[in-house]
Amino acid sequence: MNSESRGGKGPELTSFPEGPGFRVVGRSLPRVDGTAKVTGGARFAADCKLPGMLFARVLRSTVPHAVLRRLDAAGALSLPGVAAVFTAADIPGNNAVGIIVKDEPVLVETGGRIRRIGDPLALVVGESEAVLEAALAKIKVEYEELPPVFSPLEAMREGAPQIHEKGNVQSVTRIKKGDVEAALAQAKFVVTHRYTTQMVEHAYLETEAGVAAVENGLLVIWVSTQNPHYDRREVARVLNLGQHRVRIVQAPTGGGFGGKLDISVQCLLGLAAWKTGRPVKMCYRREESMIASTKRHPFVIDYTSACDGEGRLLAVKVRIVGDTGAYASYGPPTLKRAAVHATGPYEVPNVFIESFCVYTNNPPAGAMRGFGVPQIAFAHESQMDLLAEAVGCDPFTIRLRNCYRTGSVTATGQRLTASVGIEETILRARARAQELGIWRGEP
Amino acid sequence: MLPSFHYYQPESLAEALNLLADLPGPKKVLAGGTDVIPALSRGELAVEHLVSLKKLDELREIRRVGANLHVGALVTFRELVSSPLVAGFCRLLGEAAAAVGGPQVRNQGTVGGNVVNASPAGDLLPPLFALGAQVKLCRRGGERVLPLAEFLLGMGKTMLMPEEILTEVIFPALPGGAASSFVKLGRRNSLAISRISMAVIIFRNRQGRIEEARLALGAVAPRPVRAERAEALLKGRCPGPALLEEAVAAIAETVAAILGRRASAPYKRVAVKGVARQALLRAVPEFGKP
Amino acid sequence: MKPFRFKAIINDRPVELLIPPNRRLLDLLREDLDLTGVKEGCGEGECGACTVLLDGRPVNSCLVLAPEASGRKITTIEGLASAGRLHPLQEAFLEAGAVQCGYCTPGMILAAKALLEENPDPDEQTVKTAISGNLCRCTGYVKIVRAVRLAAVKMAGKGGGR
Repeated sequence: MNSESRGGKGPELTSFPEGPGFRVVGRSLPRVDGTAKVTGGARFAADCKLPGMLFARVLRSTVPHAVLRRLDAAGALSLPGVAAVFTAADIPGNNAVGIIVKDEPVLVETGGRIRRIGDPLALVVGESEAVLEAALAKIKVEYEELPPVFSPLEAMREGAPQIHEKGNVQSVTRIKKGDVEAALAQAKFVVTHRYTTQMVEHAYLETEAGVAAVENGLLVIWVSTQNPHYDRREVARVLNLGQHRVRIVQAPTGGGFGGKLDISVQCLLGLAAWKTGRPVKMCYRREESMIASTKRHPFVIDYTSACDGEGRLLAVKVRIVGDTGAYASYGPPTLKRAAVHATGPYEVPNVFIESFCVYTNNPPAGAMRGFGVPQIAFAHESQMDLLAEAVGCDPFTIRLRNCYRTGSVTATGQRLTASVGIEETILRARARAQELGIWRGEP
Repeated sequence: MLPSFHYYQPESLAEALNLLADLPGPKKVLAGGTDVIPALSRGELAVEHLVSLKKLDELREIRRVGANLHVGALVTFRELVSSPLVAGFCRLLGEAAAAVGGPQVRNQGTVGGNVVNASPAGDLLPPLFALGAQVKLCRRGGERVLPLAEFLLGMGKTMLMPEEILTEVIFPALPGGAASSFVKLGRRNSLAISRISMAVIIFRNRQGRIEEARLALGAVAPRPVRAERAEALLKGRCPGPALLEEAVAAIAETVAAILGRRASAPYKRVAVKGVARQALLRAVPEFGKP
Repeated sequence: MKPFRFKAIINDRPVELLIPPNRRLLDLLREDLDLTGVKEGCGEGECGACTVLLDGRPVNSCLVLAPEASGRKITTIEGLASAGRLHPLQEAFLEAGAVQCGYCTPGMILAAKALLEENPDPDEQTVKTAISGNLCRCTGYVKIVRAVRLAAVKMAGKGGGR
């Protein structure tokens, strides 16, 4: 599209240079699902209707840490329109899911541990959505409450309530380079601070939803997900089916941002459809989505940076504690990535980094855009500003003095041989800031 | 899914008042629905009878009667924003209406609903306080008019009785020379609940000296609050940067005293200064000119 | 709960049906009429995904009790394309890359339609205000604003659109 056809007026669209002889490369192509999405024709999971379809809702724990002593669904089952109530006892396979550690029950079993508000206890299946609310209210639950722990720092202490059998520290990452203590002793400027970051909900606009049906012996689940292959393995394990008998279809997915990499409705829908033989649909309401879904890991970061009189970094020492909540989800690699990125895009000769992925009775934290890096970036960039202040130079200068260049070696010992763009990025950012009049330092 | 209720669409105010008088059990009037529907859906509001005002077109008018403006209960935020009468005689009310929710909520939500809902963060309440508004409450066989300051009792609490309908809000039209403004601080620009809001009305004489200042703050207490000390110190003086800072400090002091030790106090104690400065400057630009 | 006789013009077609009065307009459109282009995001008027036009004005259908919309003219995203031809706004959203996950798209397009009918040549700030009741969590706002202005150009070229 050229500017003449738009009458030379209005907004400019970025277009790729059109390469000679290419039909795809260098051209702007229409999205395969674009037309369906602008006309309202795209069928998201919640939009699907199948004949004879049942509806499902999860009964969730209202306490953060407890043993489930008793669950009595008789009252719910006696309601007209309730087709079934499923509990852990109905699960034919392995009642545990998790991308890295299988530490999360699909449904908490009687005598089993509840580790957060929102743990799934039972699945109610009914002929209409209207009957489900009343049915949930009729299920009787007895808890034996345990002392909860909500702070990862407290969870690491001796004598803290144990959330999983192997202890509250799920994983530890350590990175060492050079001799940090010696460098700190020599440094002209040393800055130490604690940074804490908050839990963040992805709040994808479409809540978790799916429809499952058994077709010719094949369990088909049409679901809002970012991870269909993983979903298939988990559903198969939980239901004790061969993977060839499970098909996951990724429905148009109304946002995920990492939050739909974990299991939500998949295993429960599979269970209900497999057991009843009828199609089953489940859509979380917004409140349920907020309660049940993973979050961005809150971090507590103790960060020490040291430099010489010219602002050249000599050492960085970082301790990161990430709260992964009740279940590991993507916690271990998130904390590992935070550790790997802890120096930021700066070359530091002496480094000691420790990161801990810690269980608490908070909502589980998992993958979210940036995967641990935004949290640590807040810390390393704040440190650079504070060092610049101490040295008496401007924030661009200290960054330019330390940023990675071709040939730099990272904290993990990787030599960067190509495509190191940070220096140019900083220079352009400075030029732009100057153009806008928000930076009046040297050009 | 909303709980069950009986639903009525009376054709006239008289019919609506009869229904409210005769229906037994918990009942609620439905205007724009932007507060009532979510409250029903969250189970926070239990009603047996829902009486819709949908067909009562007589409550959709903005009229000038003598020195007063009468704003019907069913006038929407959007209608306030686009009304020439509002622009001419109570500009700050239009500014407040423009700050409510987003376009969808402004198309639906009403003046009456905003007042009856009695939220501490209700955006129309500070300007109506500053305007010295009264509300008209009708019931079968009678009506009463109360100052808004008496009508609002606290968070979600008003003098409205179950068989009454708030039919209009009445206040003196501002004279042409009066300056006014409304400023709102939310967590974001749109779809935000006020953290602090402030309405300003200032009357000046021909020499530019302030004859009367009315300053009303929202979201710092269960009901809007007048910053009386600041109002008093502005009186009889000419606007300028020094007076602005004096007034801002007095407003901040008033607000700090009200906030006490509530969780948001450390934030609001500081933020209120920015809101006050902006509101005074917007009403009277001379506050910025030495 | 006495059933309510709901009558309205939906996407230019008269509709009449008996409904329980506690039905939200959102549920009536999605469940009873299968107009599933109307999306539910939050159920409390915060996200705008359920936006429909009521007598040409955008409202959150999750906050409208269905009987309140009786007797009025309702437009959903399904009512925009005509005879297989996309509305200029729909074309512009595709061309400008303003569609990502697509969940906010119907509501965005309807909010924009109401704007362009009132103001055929809005500046950037006006567009931003008009879509300020609609959240896009993929954060594609820049392209959405561009798409609305592109649609304005397209509609001007066609003598005010269809």
